[in-house]
Amino acid sequence: MLYFTLRRLYLLSFTLLMLSIVSFSLSYLFPGDIIVNLSGITNPTLEQRIELNALYKMDDSVFHQYFAYIKQVVNGNLGISMFNNAPIVDEMNTYLPATIELCVTALFIATIFGVTLGFIAAIFHNKWIDKIILAFAMIGYSIPAFWLALILIVIFSILLSWFPSSGQINLLFDVKEVTSFIFIDIWFSDIDDKWLAFQDALRHIFLPAITVAVTPMTIFIRLSRTSMLNVLDSNYIKAARAKGLSNVKIIYHHGIRNALVQIIRQMGMHFAHLVSVVMIAEVVFDWQGIGSWLINSIFQRDYTAIQGGLIAMATFTFLINIFADILYVTLNPIERYKRHGA
Amino acid sequence: MNLLDVKNLSIRLTTSLDEILVVDRVSLTLKEGEFRGLVGESGSGKSIFAQALFWLLDDKWTISADRFHWQGQDLLRLPIEERKKIITKDVAMIFQEPMSCLDPTTTIGYQIEEALDDSEFSGFFWQRAKQRKQAAVKLLHKVGIKQHSICINSYPHQLTNALCQRVMIAIALAKRPKLLIADEPTAAMETTNQGQIFRLLSSLNQLKNMSILLISHELEKISHWTDRLTVMYSGQFVEAGTTEQIFKTPFHPYTKALLSSSPKLSKHLAKKTRLETLPGTIPVLQHLPIGCRLGPRCPNAQKHCVTAPQIRNFQGHLVSCHFSHRRDY
Ligand code: SF4
Repeated sequence: MLYFTLRRLYLLSFTLLMLSIVSFSLSYLFPGDIIVNLSGITNPTLEQRIELNALYKMDDSVFHQYFAYIKQVVNGNLGISMFNNAPIVDEMNTYLPATIELCVTALFIATIFGVTLGFIAAIFHNKWIDKIILAFAMIGYSIPAFWLALILIVIFSILLSWFPSSGQINLLFDVKEVTSFIFIDIWFSDIDDKWLAFQDALRHIFLPAITVAVTPMTIFIRLSRTSMLNVLDSNYIKAARAKGLSNVKIIYHHGIRNALVQIIRQMGMHFAHLVSVVMIAEVVFDWQGIGSWLINSIFQRDYTAIQGGLIAMATFTFLINIFADILYVTLNPIERYKRHGA
Repeated sequence: MNLLDVKNLSIRLTTSLDEILVVDRVSLTLKEGEFRGLVGESGSGKSIFAQALFWLLDDKWTISADRFHWQGQDLLRLPIEERKKIITKDVAMIFQEPMSCLDPTTTIGYQIEEALDDSEFSGFFWQRAKQRKQAAVKLLHKVGIKQHSICINSYPHQLTNALCQRVMIAIALAKRPKLLIADEPTAAMETTNQGQIFRLLSSLNQLKNMSILLISHELEKISHWTDRLTVMYSGQFVEAGTTEQIFKTPFHPYTKALLSSSPKLSKHLAKKTRLETLPGTIPVLQHLPIGCRLGPRCPNAQKHCVTAPQIRNFQGHLVSCHFSHRRDY
């Protein structure tokens, strides 16, 4: 287990290294002055230029420049936004939590529903319920996220007015931003009607979370269906049947865990997909997250922001992947225990 | 009384193209306390036949039989769920590749306890849990595993194949079966381990009066343990009788060829002479000969063999052949 964790950490550091190289080389690849791209100061004065040259070791080799850049990144200096001159790190502190909240909620919905539906489909393999679930998965997979978002808005916010179509919380609630995680902020704020605010925030996250969850959910349905079918076809299930165990017991004690073990890793992989959908949903639902911020930055040619956003998103995705891997190992005894001296 | 009496059991496999008669009217009668061997090459339908006894096959397979009696009870009259219930209550099965038959993510101890009958324990749940654990340990002792505490907390992949098979036997013993079906239990095992497993089965047979149906493709290897043998070829019944009858006076050309192809049994063999074999190989399922399926390979075959022979009984020695070797002895 320790060895496994160390290996993952090694992989993490290696990926971060590659990522930093890419993001560093972007400042060379983007049009314009390298020092401007790195720092984000669009029209530096002469003094500023000299200062920045020293900071980023522009007079040394590329190699030194890279390490100077890494040093800045590690110290939390990702430059300032070319657009509004705010430090990128501060921007991210405000925007990233909202995205994480949305991602985690969507992932939660997708996992709960996707895996359950997939298992049900597998258990009733080739029955009508299986076919309905598969058809649903196919449709859900084919619907583009932006279109689904608009449809949801039309139906649930405009026609039925059940859920708000944009924002994270009603502005009437005066929640102070501390962590920028809206739910945590509500929890620690000193407003009177916390519960109401909480409900309101839930209603706000509902539509975007559904939008984001649909595609991964359909993927999870198919993953878990296949995996459960494999498990149900395995020898140990047959042997369990010969033991005379009931179907419910077989699925509960032997089916679910084995099927879960097989899919958890793949679910981690599909998280990257989810992140890309999140970016779209954030724009449509005016969700103040890093996705819409990043897309805005792209429109505004805010190169420093693009670099920073890239690093943040990639790291986040990778961390989730590692988390899925670790979960896989904890659930799977084959990975956990070595053979006895056989 | 016969424990199991099956007559003319046929199994059809429905594929998208057509229907294949995988097992063609095979009969099997088992007495209480009998150690029976079921022998056939791979592809002879013996495993499928055994699984059909359990009604374990899925929808692709259709099973039909003229008679299916279990302890005198006619199971064919009962709905299939009832049949399964009765059979799984009294019959246990162990398979080849024992490791794959154990759930990889659950401990051995749990899997044994799961097979135990709940009604045997009494008291509060913690008392029951303790009793279960003791029962599981006892079962492990019965199959000759002494380091029960390590074994109980292990996962299947941590044990050897032979140990897994012992665990499978322990699980099978949990419900005190009247019949244990062992489907090639020692495939892919070392010879010493094979012997140990056979010895274990044989001692269970003698001490507990448990009938055993041992399925194998190695006639010689199991003949030491069995009372009676049934031979199958390509899904058809070939011959059945006591082990001695089969070895001393094989009636069927197939059995005869099988025995003479084994160097140990054909005693007067000069050095470096060829072993007798039948020409050709076992037919594939898509191209089964009509009538007697041995036909194309059989040295005795005549025109008449295109109709499938009926089983004939000569003092408990059953054979299904038009031109058997019965008169040779
Ligand atoms: S019935 Fe004919 S073909 Fe079949 S074994 Fe007997 S002699 Fe051979």
